[in-house]
Amino acid sequence: MGNLLEHMGIEKERLHFSWVSSAEATKFVEVAKKVTAAVRSIEPNDKLVKKLD
Amino acid sequence: MNKRTEKIRELASNLLKDGKVDMVIGFNQGTTPMATNPDIARSPEQAEKFIWDNNCSINLANYLADRKEKIGIIAKGCDTRNIVNHIVENKISRDQLHIIGVPCTGMIDKVKIASEFDDEIIEYNEDTGSDSDSGNNFSVKTASETKELLKKDYLKANCSTCMHRNPVIYDELAADLVEEPVIEDQFADVRAIEEMDSKDKWNYFDDLLKDCIRCYACRNACPLCFCPTCFVDESDPQWVGKGQNDIDIRTFHFLRAYHCAGRCTDCGACVEACPMDINVRAFTRKLVKDSFEIYGWEAGLDTEKRPPLDTFNPNDPDEFIK
Amino acid sequence: MKVIKIDKKEWDKGIDKSREKYQLFGPVKSKNNHIFKKLENDQPLDMEYKDSVLSPKSVLFPQTEKILETTLDESKDDHHIMKRADTDYSPRAVIGISPCDAKAVQLVKLNFDTKDYRDPYWCDAYEATTFIGLAVNRPSIYDFSPSAGSGPFAEEGLDVLLVDCGNEYLAKVLTDKGEAFLGAAGFTRKEDAKHAETIITKMKKEAEDAIVSTISTDKLKDKEILDLHGAPFWDDLAFSCINCGTCTYVCPTCWCFDIQDETKGNMSIRIRNWDTCMSPLFTMHGSGHNPRAEKTQRVRQRFMHKLKYFVDKYDQGTMCIGCGRCVKHCPVNIDIREVCNTMNSYEPKSENEI
Repeated sequence: MGNLLEHMGIEKERLHFSWVSSAEATKFVEVAKKVTAAVRSIEPNDKLVKKLD
Repeated sequence: MNKRTEKIRELASNLLKDGKVDMVIGFNQGTTPMATNPDIARSPEQAEKFIWDNNCSINLANYLADRKEKIGIIAKGCDTRNIVNHIVENKISRDQLHIIGVPCTGMIDKVKIASEFDDEIIEYNEDTGSDSDSGNNFSVKTASETKELLKKDYLKANCSTCMHRNPVIYDELAADLVEEPVIEDQFADVRAIEEMDSKDKWNYFDDLLKDCIRCYACRNACPLCFCPTCFVDESDPQWVGKGQNDIDIRTFHFLRAYHCAGRCTDCGACVEACPMDINVRAFTRKLVKDSFEIYGWEAGLDTEKRPPLDTFNPNDPDEFIK
Repeated sequence: MKVIKIDKKEWDKGIDKSREKYQLFGPVKSKNNHIFKKLENDQPLDMEYKDSVLSPKSVLFPQTEKILETTLDESKDDHHIMKRADTDYSPRAVIGISPCDAKAVQLVKLNFDTKDYRDPYWCDAYEATTFIGLAVNRPSIYDFSPSAGSGPFAEEGLDVLLVDCGNEYLAKVLTDKGEAFLGAAGFTRKEDAKHAETIITKMKKEAEDAIVSTISTDKLKDKEILDLHGAPFWDDLAFSCINCGTCTYVCPTCWCFDIQDETKGNMSIRIRNWDTCMSPLFTMHGSGHNPRAEKTQRVRQRFMHKLKYFVDKYDQGTMCIGCGRCVKHCPVNIDIREVCNTMNSYEPKSENEI
């Protein structure tokens, strides 16, 4: 159902799901690196950022 | 008066005469063109006011949640699916209900019809059509013209992709079962949006929501929205702002759609209720499609099964998790 | 009495000229409906509009209005001080407002401008506004304004009444403010007052005769509040209500609001939003008690306020001015005309009959 965010126009690179146990430190680092790279590859986010009037 | 109206009046009066139910919920004739008013009948005389026509688009299952009486209810295909949902979610029990099912041939789109005329509509009539029992043709009058229109050209959007016209649960029927249509691509509207790029998608929904006045008619007309305190009304903590901020408006609609994931029957009551004519279904359609394509699930068909978001199955598709 | 004749060919030019002195508000088409909005720089207003789904009350009373703001940024002089928001109250003109909506403004004024308290946000906006009304030549079937204290050609609350005569508008000048606006727009061609009056009177009668929908309000004042309050018809009447806010938000006289504070980083603002008594939480007390927790109580409250409490308190007729928007847009077709007639004709059973 994370599809709904993509459907409304949030780029799919911004939302990632992963099962990582606290015992899987190496995997955690890899996932963190991948997600950071994916988000950096697209423009900074300006959607869903609420501005006060 | 068409046959469905006659039968509904007969069945409802009988239920009340025999004391089988405390009240029957149905539609009365409205006071303005193309309007119907949901009402209750507590006596056979009151049941004689019920009608059935092309404008019975509000979902009567909305009035059932948490009631304690024995209730008769006039329900079309999608309404009965919502009744099943209510039973699965413990909002009402099956033995409280006597369901008068109405095999539905679709409801009409008031906005689309109004756009055919320059002046405002002053009269609507189904009885003049040659096929008055099914309401397949009807006439609409303004101060300057009268037009005879065909229902099939003005079906509401959700009716044109409906695959469950016949009631899925009922005690009695108000008409013969109708043929279920075969729809080639019932999610064509969702696919059209999926094909857009992110920016266009964002703008599409921005444009859709620019007229929203946060009246919550969509939420209140929806049978699924029965939370004692809706997340938008919560103030401790306050999840969503209550003003007309674009982000808050968008958050309300999408989060509400999320809460209806796997439960929405596409009855269209939300669109019907909206005073600003916003296509509220645009938010929930994507989830209806995903439920169907990913989990093979359609809401409200079986009182024994629990929805996919309620259950875990090791076979649940999960390629989105890395 | 002064009447100005405005050739429709001159209309757009005059409106553009008036933009030099006034912020303009008028009916604008949005998808299938019209709404009253502040006009952008060159945006024209749609004088052919038949009715607007939302009333012009948002000109004086926006749905979300920033009223106060504070900053914690110590580099600013006024940090940590809650100050009034910087709203633009330079002269405004609302063009194309219907007579019943203008009367509604006068009724709302009774609430926001009292001898004990003056709401600065509403009142400052009101004083800055000139109301250029447009008479309704062809009333809608939902219009029942004559029996609700107004009418398609009524003048109360207007500074100018425009009457659409086909190729031109006859502009009846009602106040100095109205005259000032017409001057700023360059609409100065005087028309013979008597001649104009004859035309206007004829059109007024035609419009009023076209309205067949009426409400009876003559007995409302004499009814006892407790009798009406305890009447048996409220339960069934309220059944279909879904407690959305549609009737409240489209109504030109509904004035209830909610105040919210929102903060982000160093900034904090206090905003005023429309609120609706149809919402279950409207009367929720801090203690957790809710005197209007049941739907019937809320529906009853709405109609008692509009058709009884207001009548008693202000002695200026009902709070409903007969625009018909709630009748048109209620998703379940609850009709205030029916409710009013029911209330007006209600006779409680005497003690002996019970």
